[in-house]
Amino acid sequence: MKISTKGRLATTTALATIGLIAGMIWWANQEVEDASSRRRQTTELARGLTELRLVTFEYMLHRHERPREQERQVSSRLARLIEATPFTGAAQGEVVAHLREQSAAAHRVFEELVAAPVADGVNEANDESIRRFEAQLSSRLLILQQESLADAFRLTDFSTERIDAAQRRVAIVTLAGLVLIALTTSGAAWLIHRKVLAPIAKLEQATREVAAGNWNYKLAIASNDEIGEMSRNFDAMTHSLRMSFAQIERSNQELAALNQEIEAFSYSVSHDLRGPLRSMDGFSQALLEDYGDKLDEEAKDSLQRIRAASQRMGRLIDELLGLSRVTRAELTLKPVNLSEVAREIAESLAQQQPTRAVQWKIEEGLTVHADKALIQIAMQNLLENAWKFTSKTDQPVIRVGALERDGKKECFVADNGVGFDMAYADRLFGAFQRLHHESEFPGTGIGLAIVQRIFRRHAGRIWVQAKPGLGATFFFQLKEQGHE
Amino acid sequence: MSDVSKVILLVEDSPDDVALTLRAFKRSHVMNTIAVARDGIEALDFLFARGTHADRAGVPLPTLIILDLKLPKLDGLGVLKAIRADDRTRFLPVVILTSSKEEQDLISGYSLGANSYVRKPVDFVEFTEAVRVLGIYWLMMNQSPPENSP
Repeated sequence: MKISTKGRLATTTALATIGLIAGMIWWANQEVEDASSRRRQTTELARGLTELRLVTFEYMLHRHERPREQERQVSSRLARLIEATPFTGAAQGEVVAHLREQSAAAHRVFEELVAAPVADGVNEANDESIRRFEAQLSSRLLILQQESLADAFRLTDFSTERIDAAQRRVAIVTLAGLVLIALTTSGAAWLIHRKVLAPIAKLEQATREVAAGNWNYKLAIASNDEIGEMSRNFDAMTHSLRMSFAQIERSNQELAALNQEIEAFSYSVSHDLRGPLRSMDGFSQALLEDYGDKLDEEAKDSLQRIRAASQRMGRLIDELLGLSRVTRAELTLKPVNLSEVAREIAESLAQQQPTRAVQWKIEEGLTVHADKALIQIAMQNLLENAWKFTSKTDQPVIRVGALERDGKKECFVADNGVGFDMAYADRLFGAFQRLHHESEFPGTGIGLAIVQRIFRRHAGRIWVQAKPGLGATFFFQLKEQGHE
Repeated sequence: MSDVSKVILLVEDSPDDVALTLRAFKRSHVMNTIAVARDGIEALDFLFARGTHADRAGVPLPTLIILDLKLPKLDGLGVLKAIRADDRTRFLPVVILTSSKEEQDLISGYSLGANSYVRKPVDFVEFTEAVRVLGIYWLMMNQSPPENSP
């Protein structure tokens, strides 16, 4: 059974019990009220009977007309009262019937007494018999009246008993109801403890286990209620978590294996591919040195071309390795003074080619949250590009700065160099993509691929705006500090 | 140019690189005898007069070892480890001359006690210059430890 059903059952039981008690109290109230009104009636009856006795006495003493008339009135009132007396149960009915009979009998005896001749003191013997008859009637009348009074008191006792019984019944029902409520309440409390609190404690323990990484923890509460349902869902959840975790583990292992392969590949590239190049360059040079005098210009030119090609391929291999190193490098993020990095690169470029007059405009206080080594490589590539592509500009200016767009900080490297057509912009960041002939601007075409990879590793991005003849501006954005 | 009795041991498996290195030495006027070992095991046999080099017992050790890293049988780092582990050779100058500029190789080389780490340039002119500087430094400028030092 569901906990909610059990709860509803307990509530219903408690409410029904309370209703029963309330009904019982209402019933007892009615009963007591009814019994009280009857007791009032019987009391009235008793009072009437007493009054009847008094007027009877008075008549017997004085033989006046007034008490006689009073007796008649009281008698008829009593008869009405007796007729109006409601009764329930046979015993009461018997008493009422007896009372009715006695009263009627008493009235008849009184009428006889009224009709009886009165002693006149003329005939002694006659007077004597009259007096005896009178005394006989009087005592019968007294007995009858006494018995009627006793009946009235019995009727009063009946009402009192009814009141007592009603009160007793109310007490019993109330007590039983209270016991029932107590039982229901303790049952509910036990239910809550056994079926709700204990499983919740188990669940709490389970969440702690799972949070600590124990994916194999099983809750396994087999009950058929909501908690059982939750337990099954929880176990299903940990099961799927376990599966995903295993999946991630497997993927991680595959990644690690792949990484190792790349590592081995890079090593081979670095080592094995360069060997033959060295031989090509070296032996071409040997030919030139040893047999230069026997070779014509064309042969020497061919040998020089072999050497140049070997060396270019050597550089390509080195740059490819650089690209792969950028991918594999571990990031150490901290604030980097970009202005300082740019200034150092600018100085070294100016030192390498002191004949060039480039105007540098590097904004002060530029800071990014990044891996310093990688950002240095990126800036080196960007500034070298700017330096290279302004080599044919009259008054070359290279600017490094920052601006805010849509509430986000963007840094930029801008030059007024040769620029390019934006139609080729999407090819710009691919490896070995060049937008100019190598004879015009030397390079391997891998620098911007490295730059883009560096910003991707920082979860940032780089994009470019350019116009042929007017220069290019590279914008880059790194994730805000603290959100990496 | 230098004391030609000093022997250089070149540990190098590529015949091309051997030829180029020898040529570079020659062009730099380094006239010393250059012994060549073609793998790691042969290099150790040469140094410790074992196996095919058993006849070298009693012959003085080379003055300089030029060591490639990628070698058959036992690689350059293994050779370096063995050299540094033996009392007879632990002070021998060892220069790593290799194609690799992987950071890991540099760190391993130096932490195992290499005296120098030189990368072979593709450009033969640069290569010759590197070999020349090596020769000058290690054969002429550098003071070797005493022969029978502990």
